[in-house]
Amino acid sequence: MNPTESATVVRDASTVGDPVVGRAQIEWVRRHSPVLDGFVRERIGDGSLNGVTIAVVVHLEAKTAFLATVLADAGATVIVAGSNPRTTRGDVVEALRDRGLTVVSEPGGDYESWERELLAAADHTPDYVIDDGAELTMRMGKHRPELYARLKGVSEETTTGTVRLHALQAAGKLPFAALTANDARCKHLFDNKFGTGQTTLQAVLRLTNRQIAGAVVAIVGYGFVGRGIAQYAKAMGARTSVIEIDPVRALEAHMDGHTVGAARDLLPDATIAITATGGMRAIGERDLPFLRDDVVLANAGHHDLEVDVDAIQAASTSQFTPREGVATYRIGERDIHVLTGGALVNIAGGSGHPVEIMDLTFAVQGIGVHYLVTAGLEPGVHVIPAALDDAIAAAKLASLGVVLDGIRPEQGDDATAWIEGVAAR
Amino acid sequence: MSDTSAQESLAESGARRIEWAARSMPVLRSISERLQQSGSLTGLRIGVGLVLEPKTANLALALKNAGAQVSVFCSGRSTDQATADALTAAGLRVFAEEGAGDDRDEELAREYLGTSPDILLDDGAELIRLAHREFPERVEQMLGAAEETTSGVRPLRAMHADGALRIPVIAVNDAQTKYLFDNVYGTGQSCVMTLLDVTNLQLAGRIVVVVGYGWVGKGVAKHAAALGARVVVTELDPINALQAIHDGYRVRSLAEAAPEAEVVFAATGIAGAVTAAHVERMPDGVILATAGGGAFELPMTMLDALNARTLVRPGVTEYTMPSGRTVLVISEGDCLNCTDGEGNPIEVMDLSLSLQALAAELIATEARHWAPGLYPVSRELENAVAIARITHEGATLEPMTAELAAAIRSW
Repeated sequence: MNPTESATVVRDASTVGDPVVGRAQIEWVRRHSPVLDGFVRERIGDGSLNGVTIAVVVHLEAKTAFLATVLADAGATVIVAGSNPRTTRGDVVEALRDRGLTVVSEPGGDYESWERELLAAADHTPDYVIDDGAELTMRMGKHRPELYARLKGVSEETTTGTVRLHALQAAGKLPFAALTANDARCKHLFDNKFGTGQTTLQAVLRLTNRQIAGAVVAIVGYGFVGRGIAQYAKAMGARTSVIEIDPVRALEAHMDGHTVGAARDLLPDATIAITATGGMRAIGERDLPFLRDDVVLANAGHHDLEVDVDAIQAASTSQFTPREGVATYRIGERDIHVLTGGALVNIAGGSGHPVEIMDLTFAVQGIGVHYLVTAGLEPGVHVIPAALDDAIAAAKLASLGVVLDGIRPEQGDDATAWIEGVAAR
Repeated sequence: MSDTSAQESLAESGARRIEWAARSMPVLRSISERLQQSGSLTGLRIGVGLVLEPKTANLALALKNAGAQVSVFCSGRSTDQATADALTAAGLRVFAEEGAGDDRDEELAREYLGTSPDILLDDGAELIRLAHREFPERVEQMLGAAEETTSGVRPLRAMHADGALRIPVIAVNDAQTKYLFDNVYGTGQSCVMTLLDVTNLQLAGRIVVVVGYGWVGKGVAKHAAALGARVVVTELDPINALQAIHDGYRVRSLAEAAPEAEVVFAATGIAGAVTAAHVERMPDGVILATAGGGAFELPMTMLDALNARTLVRPGVTEYTMPSGRTVLVISEGDCLNCTDGEGNPIEVMDLSLSLQALAAELIATEARHWAPGLYPVSRELENAVAIARITHEGATLEPMTAELAAAIRSW
């Protein structure tokens, strides 16, 4: 199919962005992205991306845009699409078009136009996809089987997308190599913990104008995201409690100095409760009786229903909006406040991840796609080699002027020296 | 017609935000209820001259509900129009227009003083000073005033030393329940979080230089360190410096700290705390911000004279030095939490504004017998605010037993 035929998106003049503003935003990202701008540029600029078509399907704002330009500068033909219709920034779209990149997304779209945009991206016949939630990969498999069959590789950003790729592999329907960026240490140890941790608290405090010192913050889920939120909240003077079902993680939270227990015991004290489980209904109908009056509920996990807004709505007798981004539900004599409709609070109510964090995450993606192109991997789900993960961290440290020690020969222990004395069979 | 409906909706959104703030202001609420019972403010004219936004609006409403006739003044720079409209709709006289220039502000200030307030609640002592200059006969009729800030208390002391102060003024700023909380937790949190909001950057791993380890500096250092920053403190005062060392920070002169500074927060309230010579020694891309005070703390004259400024993102101005190095200034050097954020968090303003309400009550009931001068907030009032908040938090104080009282008295 001719790409122009399926690109039926109508451009609305009122939402067309300003490329000058977009360029300034991308430049701000560049100056705080030493790894992408240095190590990654150097590594992927070896000519192996020449003539390769890469679709980049991530939240279409300045940080993603910078990744796209780095790939284009390395010789790739880059097709850019947003991974969510509500997060596409018009200024950035125009700046990318000015630089000659193909952008199939428009700002101000809805889920219908977004479906069309993703198919338009598919119709540009990408060899490789940098995907978010496997959104383009799934749609190519379903709606463009012939293009799906000739895909050479996918590098996936999120836990959710990783689950989807494993499901495809288990069903015998993954004919190419896929990398799961989330499994790289340079991604989940930083992006999930420090990035989401910081920006979740930023968004909660900004949306409410409330104070963190003295607040009682309950965190549901103690994965990397939960750990980051709990660490920062505690350090800024909150009393923190952790609600976790996994005993090992719960024990870790206990030793990190948080109060650990069941929702029924901890929620009644919480003035702020934040979900970070990656599952659904982490705060659900069952928990509503435990919530105190005037509690603020926010979600830092993938699903919009981690805070079960439907159940809260159903239990409430009235609803109003006291401030932008805050919905108040009256349940009996209590007012329950839900931030950004239960959507990811740091994305929907904030400016997304810090630039430095995305420098690492997108370095994993950029190096990952280069690895897919050059390594000749078998079809299936893979993780980037530890050596590449290490190289990214080393590049970040070098940009900070940090010099590490190497291991000295005398540091090796003799734990296995006795093997020499064991008789061979 | 459409104008009217737009205004109504602005007032309505202002009212909703005032209501949101009220939820987290239990101390002011309890004081307001008591004042309604006591009637000690009934019929008094009170002028409120604080930053006009939802938290201070709750103070103005509390005074009105206690029976006072309340007028509100604020400069155009610090006025939130929705809040102003909501107060007008609630029956207060509002002398503030968002975006008004200096001339219009002066006109409004004179009209406001024209309401002949018995009590002034001031911020920066601007209105107290204007009244003394231009309306001396009205000043003679006043019961007294209360002042919110450090920068307002200083000129009032100078006036008093010169025998020019004609009324008693309560220095709310000097109350422990103000500066130990408002300056540390309020300004500290909001300045650090606003920097993150405006820049979309991290503090984790960054070297943050905090210039001045007073109450605001302590709060900025605490919140920055909590978010992973490596904090370096600069101080003139040896005891503050020693405190910083005990809190786990390095202490250096600014000239020494400058070459490794990635973010600099000026938190001194003193003009010229960060000089052009300091900035010359800072690395490319250094970020400068003011916490609590104003642009006078930074070498803005030198930077503006470069004639090489670009707005790189909202709230971030980049200056290019002759050497080609760049300096990024947040909120044009003004205190960033008010300019690009929503000011202090609500809970801490509950404490500060409660002190203002108690100060107004004290002036109404006692100040007739007071000579002109500056008066501290009594320990009793400081404690009253703390106890109200502690009770709201569900905390309990240790009861004083006869044995403990005896032990305390023993020698």
